[in-house]
Amino acid sequence: MDPEVHALTGAYVSHALEPAEREAFEGHLEQCPTCRQEVAELRETAALLASAASEPPPARLKAAVDARIAVTRQLPPIVERSAAEAEPAAGTAVRGGTRRRWLTGLGWGLATGLAATVAVLGVRVADQQNQLDQAHQRDTTIAALLAAPDTRTGSVTVTTGGKGMVLVSRSHDEAAITLTGLTRLPSGQAYQLWMMGPSGARSGGLLPTGSGGTSGSVLAHDLGDARTIGLTVEPSGGSAQPTTAPIMLLPMPA
Amino acid sequence: MLGRSSSKDAAGRPAPTLESCLHRVALGDRDAFDAVYEQLAGPVFGVARRVLRDPAQAEEVAQEVLVEIWRTAGRYDPARGSVRAWALTMAHGRAVDRVRSVDAGARREARVAEMMTEAPYDDVVETVEAHLDRQRVRHCLETLTELQRQSVTLAYYGGYTYAQVARLLETPLGTVKTRMRDGLARLRDCLGVGG
Repeated sequence: MDPEVHALTGAYVSHALEPAEREAFEGHLEQCPTCRQEVAELRETAALLASAASEPPPARLKAAVDARIAVTRQLPPIVERSAAEAEPAAGTAVRGGTRRRWLTGLGWGLATGLAATVAVLGVRVADQQNQLDQAHQRDTTIAALLAAPDTRTGSVTVTTGGKGMVLVSRSHDEAAITLTGLTRLPSGQAYQLWMMGPSGARSGGLLPTGSGGTSGSVLAHDLGDARTIGLTVEPSGGSAQPTTAPIMLLPMPA
Repeated sequence: MLGRSSSKDAAGRPAPTLESCLHRVALGDRDAFDAVYEQLAGPVFGVARRVLRDPAQAEEVAQEVLVEIWRTAGRYDPARGSVRAWALTMAHGRAVDRVRSVDAGARREARVAEMMTEAPYDDVVETVEAHLDRQRVRHCLETLTELQRQSVTLAYYGGYTYAQVARLLETPLGTVKTRMRDGLARLRDCLGVGG
């Protein structure tokens, strides 16, 4: 390890680095378990410097905080990857780092992607509300899904290229599915989603891929016994049952 | 590690740990949040006030941080450190961010003389636990070399970057960087902070 870089642990936990140095050091931390251990210890030490500065806050602070948390939605916890996908554990510090990267890569991407581009599948869309109402409902639904206590996530590679990700809540009976980096299809073909369970495959509709044709998101209701989300290439009008081999089988965690 | 496991509530029962309280906060438990507030509001406000000096600004930072604790309780990862360190790192970081954004050079420099001559702790009303922490920290700060102590306290309580500390102390950058690290490491050992 570069002793120059390692020497920055003290300045780092004291928030005494310039922003660029801080970022560079955080990059280094991802690669350096020894540094993470030292940062953790020095952070606990710095916390005692803070405790030693403790002062009773004005009483109005509690009222102000209470008023704000009454209208502040809590972030959902970060959900661990399934065992099959998890990288080998190599100490707690490494696990922490992995989890954070995973959140950045999947959780946030999924959440923001959904908020921006999701379409609604299933029976509720038949209500034919006006578009504004639908957009509002989507945002509300996604927020609720992200906040649900039993929300689980999963991701899998699409065999012909790209990646599928799912966020599912059984208590809400809803799943948000995002596909990215798909191969562009020739005209006359479309990606179709399938809700697959013991009783067979139900169409989840054609994937709305927008102008680029290589990514799309859907929100699925009425999951029933579906345990897997399938993706096939179908004629552009869609099919009643899959007519080609699935290019993705994305398990929906129970 | 702060010996708070021996804390008792009014009925003489051991107080729940911050970790168990925060877990319940993540489930939306307002009573648990009150317990977290009870333990952290003082240090959160105190460190913000130490860095910012201005009580009104410190109060704003404390409010932000305490709401953030509520909002992100579910994201707290015990593998990365104690709840106390998590919360106070956030409080210190935000206070420092604010001091850097509002404190333009000249005004800032004027405070230096005050910083350097002042006793490291104000006399204020304090809880027994805060008092004990304060005594231990004060004792351990005394075990540092002068340069270590100045480097650590100017950066942590003063909110200066290490480059600014180097200039204030007329000491090479590399030396200050190293003193911040070995000063904190010596504090760690003196305070018995485990890894």
